[in-house]
Amino acid sequence: MFPDGNRREFLDPSALSRLSGLPLFARRPMMGSVSGRHPSPHRGASVEFAEYRKYVPGDDLRRLDWRAYGRTDRFYVKEFEADTNLRCCLVLDTSGSMDFGSGDITKLQYARKIAGALSYLAVQQGDAIGLSCVAENMIQNIPPRRNPAHLMHVFDTLEKAVPKDGTQLTSVLHELAETIRQRALIVIISDFFVEPAELRSCFEHLQFRKHDVTAFHLLDPQELGFEFRRPMRFLDMEGGPAIFAEPNEIADRYHKALQEYLENFKQVVLQTGIDYHRTVIDEDYEKVLTQFLAGRTRARGVR
Amino acid sequence: MSFLQPMLLAALPIIALPIIIHLINQRRYQTTRWAAMMFLLAANRMSRGYARIRQWLILLFRTLAIAGLIFAISRPLASGWLGVTAGGRADTTIILLDRSPSMQQLGPGAVVSKLETGRQQLAKTLETLGSTRFVLIESTKNIPRELNAPEDLLNLPETEPTSTSADLPAMLQAAHSYIEANQSGRTEIWICSDLRENDWNAESSRWKSLRDSFLEFTQGVRFHLLAYPRAAPQNVAVRVTDVRRQQTSEGVELLVSLHLTREADSDDRLAVPVQLEIDGARSEINVDMVGSQYELKDYRIGLTENQKRGWGRVSIPADANPADNDFYFAFDEPPERHTLIVADDPTNVRPLQLTASISPDPQAKSIATVVTEDQLGTVEWEQMALVLWHAPLPDAAIAQQLTNFVSRGGRVVFFPPRSTSGREFMGVAWQQWQKTPKEVGIETWRSDQDLLERTLSGTSLPVGELLIREYCELSGEVTPLAELPGGKPLLARVTTDHGGVYFCATTPAPSDSTLATNGIVLYVAVQRALASGAEALGNTRQLVAGEQPIELATTWERLTSDEEGLSTEYAFHRGVYTAGDRLLAVNRSAEEEQASLLADERVAGLFNGLDFARVDDEAGTINSLIEEIWRVFLAVMMVSMIVEAALCLPRIRPTQGSAT
Repeated sequence: MFPDGNRREFLDPSALSRLSGLPLFARRPMMGSVSGRHPSPHRGASVEFAEYRKYVPGDDLRRLDWRAYGRTDRFYVKEFEADTNLRCCLVLDTSGSMDFGSGDITKLQYARKIAGALSYLAVQQGDAIGLSCVAENMIQNIPPRRNPAHLMHVFDTLEKAVPKDGTQLTSVLHELAETIRQRALIVIISDFFVEPAELRSCFEHLQFRKHDVTAFHLLDPQELGFEFRRPMRFLDMEGGPAIFAEPNEIADRYHKALQEYLENFKQVVLQTGIDYHRTVIDEDYEKVLTQFLAGRTRARGVR
Repeated sequence: MSFLQPMLLAALPIIALPIIIHLINQRRYQTTRWAAMMFLLAANRMSRGYARIRQWLILLFRTLAIAGLIFAISRPLASGWLGVTAGGRADTTIILLDRSPSMQQLGPGAVVSKLETGRQQLAKTLETLGSTRFVLIESTKNIPRELNAPEDLLNLPETEPTSTSADLPAMLQAAHSYIEANQSGRTEIWICSDLRENDWNAESSRWKSLRDSFLEFTQGVRFHLLAYPRAAPQNVAVRVTDVRRQQTSEGVELLVSLHLTREADSDDRLAVPVQLEIDGARSEINVDMVGSQYELKDYRIGLTENQKRGWGRVSIPADANPADNDFYFAFDEPPERHTLIVADDPTNVRPLQLTASISPDPQAKSIATVVTEDQLGTVEWEQMALVLWHAPLPDAAIAQQLTNFVSRGGRVVFFPPRSTSGREFMGVAWQQWQKTPKEVGIETWRSDQDLLERTLSGTSLPVGELLIREYCELSGEVTPLAELPGGKPLLARVTTDHGGVYFCATTPAPSDSTLATNGIVLYVAVQRALASGAEALGNTRQLVAGEQPIELATTWERLTSDEEGLSTEYAFHRGVYTAGDRLLAVNRSAEEEQASLLADERVAGLFNGLDFARVDDEAGTINSLIEEIWRVFLAVMMVSMIVEAALCLPRIRPTQGSAT
């Protein structure tokens, strides 16, 4: 985790140790390759009874429920739920806008902390973790694996992620929906400076592919407050044209546009049912993740 | 609108300061890298509406605040006096104040006269405008007098009303002389008058020369006319046209002739109770006036035998102008009419002695004294009314005595001596005797005035029947009253300020003319000269205010008067005065009753080419001609600042929710 004894900036061992007490659950059945902590759509060998079904030739006779035969004179096979591991795919927005931060930390640094912690927690409980860095296209795509060496690779990739270029989040999400095997936990960490209507189709596409979608919406306090005193020249961090504005004059309309966007986003979230977390980056990420994990614990059990 | 400190308006470009600061502020922007550009772009696409208007409004109110401040310190004036002080404070302000009786007319429903209102307005206005020097030229003396402050106009006795008519051209001439003599710098002349024609003498040729001479001033002279042209149609003026004391078989009585004048010619019947007061005893006549004029001839008032001299007053009830409601008169026994006949040969002047000593009025006694030039030292000049000089023209010493006599109102008629001496009197001298080939008549004569005027009944004197056989030619500047064929003057008058000097080019001697044989003309002419001389030098006199030399009035004592006035100004105030043993009744001139006003175009024409502004005011107005309105601009400034502050207040925004 800390190669050459150097600490990774985005990893806080004490915070990770506190978070590790909370399991990371999927909200919907996953299709893992090995046994794990997550519900599977298939029957398996867990201790949790699922159902009885009629014996058909070829079934293992050891699974025949003799007590039910004794009572009913019919052959039934007793089935149990299967527990599996999950594939967690982290989608990290590395566009230029993620380099913004009015305080001590940029959005990308904040995103690294969340992504790093989630990776660690997933691998810790035997789940596979993958990472996709997206900007104008897919910058990097690490498929989910569950060995610790892979985790190091993920951490290295996170560390080296550089914010630049514009965002083509929607096209990349569509691509990921198709490329990632069904039933994965997809965690998108981005500022989502995309029209909510475009995101709706992405989320719906991912849901259609049975993925459990989680969105961490990172916003800077200054983006929400927009408090400036002097006339400002705003340079687009994604290479667009600069805008000159008198903050006193434009603030009202800025806030109106922001509120409209957040409202639309909320509608999209409610309609698509994704796990949405609006996060202002001056908040403690540990708290954000605690809320995230606790919420998942409550939602577990839906198969 | 005009300003007391117009130079400060030069600071007006400062009102652009908020805009300049705004533009500079726009230049002093900060650059920042920004992620949420989509919201800025969306905000830019939204209608700016109120936000843009708000920005402009803030700039507007900031500009207004500065403009209000600059205007306030420029001391703006609200007035009808367009451009009253464009160019700033005047170096000299000359006030021409019309104190004529017509200026005492009261405003409708007011108890303040035009003159009083004008004085107050001028005092207030000039106090506001300020000037280095204030000079008053009032209408009686036309002498410039420096004032310490405009408020002196309210206190000085020289600004009080008088009964003397004004002479605006003379006042302007005095102003012109003052400017010329004192190098007065930038001058403003304020004229306060009611535009009466008799005061303005608009037809006078002096106006043109005045206008030309004012135009020659390079320092700039501005004229402001504060006019009170409102007429009072129902105003009635009373005037005594004649007063005679007469002895009849029934006793002594006073015959008073009155004339009432109403300003407007109206058919409305107007009852006017006329009160006559003689030595404190009052009587009243009720007069019904229809039309504009009313004449009462020889109204008889009984007197006691002892009342040989006295004074009286005719008054009518108060109306729009109190100055013309009274008229004073004085009466006395007709004085003895003394004629002095100076002759080198007393035997030749018998016809003259006869014509001078036979009085047409049994009440008036006429005495004619014949003396030679050597005996003149014994003559009591004060008693003489007429001098008939049938001798060579006087030498310098005697000429001086004669001149003094004439300036007191006496009359002199010169007849040519047989031998002309070459001396002259008042620029006129006898030339050679001319013998006419045959008897000639008089070709032309003035029958409209003076000695050869028609009689009261309109009958002409038989001047045309006179025959001239010999005459003496005249040299010098004279006004002919009768001329022989060829334009040779037979009877001529020399222009004098007072009294009368006549030259008759022939003598009553039968060898020279038929003056004696056809004696009517000679008799009438001599008696007329004697009567006018006697009237001028008599014990009682009806005087027109302002027409007497002011030095003469210094010895007068007031018997009665309605007007307050300095003793040095008695000559300008109506009333009855005593001068020695003489009674003097001073009244306004007859022209004051002609209420005609100068037309507006005529007034404008008089000042044509000059820097002239006029405002019409009314007696009794309370509002000032000009008013400083800097407070309004200060209020505008404060309101602008408050509105600007309100617009600049940041709007309360709803607090943003954090993470969900």
